This record gives sequence, C-alpha cells and structure tokens, in this order.
Amino acid sequence: MKKNNIEGWLFVFPLVIWISLIILVPIYIAFELSLFNVKIIGTSGKFVGIDNYIKLLGKSKFINASLNSLYWIIGNAICQTFLAFTIALTINYKFPGNKIMANWIILSFIIPTVVVVVIWKLMLSSSSGVINSVLIDIGLLDEATGFFSSPNKAFMSLVLINSWRWSPFLALIILSGLNSINREMYDASKVDGANFVQQFLFITFPNLKSVLFVLGLVGTLLSFNIFDIIWLITKGGPSSATTTLPLLIYETAFTKFRISQAATLSIITSFLLLLFSILFIKSMAPKEDD
Amino acid sequence: MIKENNIKLIFLSLSLLLIILIFFFPFFWIITSSFKTPEEIIATSTTIIPRSFTLEHYNKILFNSDFFIYLKNSLIVSFSSMIISIILSVSAAYGLHKLKFYGNKFVEYSLLVTYAFPGVILLVPIYLLFAKVNLLNSYFALIIVNVLFATPFAVWMLKAFFMLIPNEIEEAAYIDGASRYIVISRIIVPLAAPGIASVSIFCFIISWTEYLFASILISGDDLKTLPVGLAGIVGQYQIDWGFLLSGAVLASLPVILIFVFIGRYFVSGLTEGSVK
Repeated sequence: MKKNNIEGWLFVFPLVIWISLIILVPIYIAFELSLFNVKIIGTSGKFVGIDNYIKLLGKSKFINASLNSLYWIIGNAICQTFLAFTIALTINYKFPGNKIMANWIILSFIIPTVVVVVIWKLMLSSSSGVINSVLIDIGLLDEATGFFSSPNKAFMSLVLINSWRWSPFLALIILSGLNSINREMYDASKVDGANFVQQFLFITFPNLKSVLFVLGLVGTLLSFNIFDIIWLITKGGPSSATTTLPLLIYETAFTKFRISQAATLSIITSFLLLLFSILFIKSMAPKEDD
Repeated sequence: MIKENNIKLIFLSLSLLLIILIFFFPFFWIITSSFKTPEEIIATSTTIIPRSFTLEHYNKILFNSDFFIYLKNSLIVSFSSMIISIILSVSAAYGLHKLKFYGNKFVEYSLLVTYAFPGVILLVPIYLLFAKVNLLNSYFALIIVNVLFATPFAVWMLKAFFMLIPNEIEEAAYIDGASRYIVISRIIVPLAAPGIASVSIFCFIISWTEYLFASILISGDDLKTLPVGLAGIVGQYQIDWGFLLSGAVLASLPVILIFVFIGRYFVSGLTEGSVK
C-alpha cells in the first residue's frame, strides 16, 4: 500500500498528543524543579543549578537504590523467563484442557496488585502461613521462617511474587510467537533426526526473535517500574534492602517531602531508561522484511 | 522414539503439577480462607480442606464498610478509561499499520518506550501539574493517567489483528466508492473485533488494578478506588484477615466475571495473532 502521510498522522495524532502532553509537560516540570531547592509542595525554592544532581549522584542512598533496581531487573528477568517459557511450552504441548489452562493461567495478572499482596502476605506469613507449615511438615524447615525478615529473603520473595504476577501474561505473548511458527519446520527437523532440545535452540528460539525483542524492552521497563508490590509488602525494608529507585523517589517526595530531590531523581532515572531503550532498540530491533 | 515421548510425558506432567501448584492453588487458598473463622485463618496448623464455614467477613464488608463506594468509583474510572483508550488506540493502530506514513516506525517504537516514563518517575510532576490545574481528587485525573498506561501496549496488540486484514478487501471497497469512514466502520472494526475485545479487557484490567496514582491523586474517601481502599486495610497494624480476604475476593470478582464471558477473546487475542 502506498504511504498516506497526512491521513496517517491524523489518525495517530490524538494518541500522540495525549501521551506527549502527559509525559512531556510533567518531565519539563520535573526538570525545572530539579534546578531549585523546593522542599514543600507549593512553595518556591531558591535556584541552585545542578547542585541537586551533584549531591545526589554521590549519595549512598542513590547508589544503593540503583543497585537494587539492577538486581531487581536481573532477578525478575531470569525468574520470569524461566516461568513464562515453562508455561508457554507446556500449554503449547496440546494436552486435554490446555485451552482452559491458557484462559485461566492469566488470573494472577488480571487481579489487582493489592490482591496479589494480600494472597502472598497470607501464604507467606511467618505465624500462620500455609507455605511455612507445609515446609515444616515435609521436613525442609525446623521452625517457621519470616520470608520478609532478612534483606536477602525479602528481596528474593518479592522477586518471586512479582514474577508470579507477570509470567503468565508473558507466557501468552510467547505462545503467540510459538503459534506463528510453521509446524512443518518441526516435522522436517524430526526427519533429519533433531531432538527436542535442538528443535528449541534452532527453530523455536530464532523464530521468537520479534516477540522476545518487545518482551525484552517492555518487560525490562515494566519490571523497573514496579512499585506497589514492594511498597505494600516491605515498604523498602528491611534496612533499605528492597528500596529500588521507584521507592526511593516515592519516599523522597511523599514521606520526606523533598520535592526537588525527588524531581532530580526522576530526571536521572528517565535519562537512564531512555538510554537503555535507545541502545536496546538500536542493537536488538529485528529487521523488517515487509 | 517411544523413549523420547516418555521423557516428554514426564516433563509435561511435572510442569503441569508445578503450574497448578504455583498459579492456581493460591486462589483456592484465599477463596476458601475468606469463608473460614478468624481463628482458623490465623491457626498455626493448617489443613487443605477448611474446617469451618462462616459468612461473617462478607457480611461485614458488604454491609458495614465503604465497599460499594469504592466499587462504584473503580467501575466509573475503569470503564471511562477503557472507552477512551480504545478509541485512541484503534485510531492510532489504523494509522500506523494500515496507512503507513513517513515516520511510522519512529512513532511505533516511541510508543513502546513510553513504558519507560509511567510509574513513579511521573508521579511527582503529575501530582504538581494536576494540583496546578485543579484536577486532584477527580475521576478525570485517574482516567488521564490510566489511558497513558494502557494505550502504548494496546496499539501493539492491535497491530497483529490489523496486519491480518488483507489490504485487498479495503482496496476493493475503495474501488466501489466507499469512504474512509465506511471502510473503518464496516470493514476494519468488524474484522478486528476479537482484537478490539482483547484490547478492551487489557485496558480495563490496567485501570482496575492501578494503585499508585490512585493513592496519591485522590485523597477524599468518597472518590477512592477499590485497590486503595483495600491497601488501607493491608497497612493496618493488626490485620483483620477475614475482612481483608473477603475484600480481596470481591475486588477480583468483576474482572473475573468479565473474563468468564469474554476472556477467551483476550487470550486468543494474545496468542493467536501472528506477531511478525
């Protein structure tokens, strides 16, 4: 089809305007704030130039939160890739009931995050949680453990809970990629004597490239943005072990009321994410062949 | 050959068991627990089959709390966000994938990247902006934000459906003298209906589950949404588990009901569109 420049833009225009307004105006406000030292919302502070940036970049809180965010993204990526592929490959293997399972596996994604929090707070409770009592019953634990009590345990529990929420959704998207692979390729490879590990590595995986590209990009950004699950369960603790950058921004703005500092953090974070996205798209974007 | 099939079968059964245990058992657990007496919920010895049955928690939440106010707010915000998101994203997806203009790749990737900006990064400046233009404490504040969260991915989901519609159908209609409006309303929208259904569910879910902005932009009790109302109970020092669990079940019920009726469109929308 020939290109329809003016009409094409007209159709895209309303959404582009909506999104740009709600992203660019706030970013501009944040940038302006980051150059002042505003503390309480509504007051005007003194112009301090790039002071906020210099101060923040050296702060151990910022470095700690950045590292936590990095571990958070990596932990979630590993855990979700494993779970999502397990679900997708299982459902893709046509067993009786696989359609029903495909429909309902997404339950953990469609319920409110607050409900996810309620579920796992109850299941993982140290005093009466079912997981603790099962682990004690089968002899893996001697006494009930607090899944959110030590820094490492809290971090890992949160990664698992977040992966529980997201992997079924990712699995369905991977499934869409699997469905678009030509079945005959598997039959042909079988004739040539390929086993299912080889099939996965040389047929399944390469054919999922464009799906994995979107998941890699959007998934990383979405993982980074997770706030409510962490905030509602650990509030960033114990001893800041689960304070990722989003939590630090929230804390700085709404519990410490350092608005300019929070704005500075937002600008730095936006810059980092933008940089990541550009690099990711430049290096990983699948070639168009239409 | 037989040996490989056996290995496959063992793998399949193991992963099925794992999936059911991890992804379905928790739902069984909170639903049954919401009918248990407070003593059984916090008992240290737990049994899979509930030992008690009571409706006291549901009684309390339905007739002795602000549940219906929160429900009404959540429904208004989610439906409005969904409808606006659909209109904007169907229009944008049509422009991007059917009309193909100069710069369409740039817009397509930029939309995906906008996932970088929502979330807490925008929280402070949006709060200040909305305070300035008097939008705090209004449904519209939440709708504006929800549309922003839902549409980028909605456009991407619609792509697969629009690509499946052969250009020849459209071209034939134009030759017969149909206008752009007729083509969109009589050909594109009906043919992409499963896609539009699945995108609607996606947009609804995004708004229904949103917590962060709803907790900051709304302070009046009469405008709070369900997730914020529930989170208020989670945060209490002495958690009333029965109350909380029945609230959690009820807050999930609307999305689950929608899913019972049109969920298969959502799932097939995600899985059967050939994403190329």
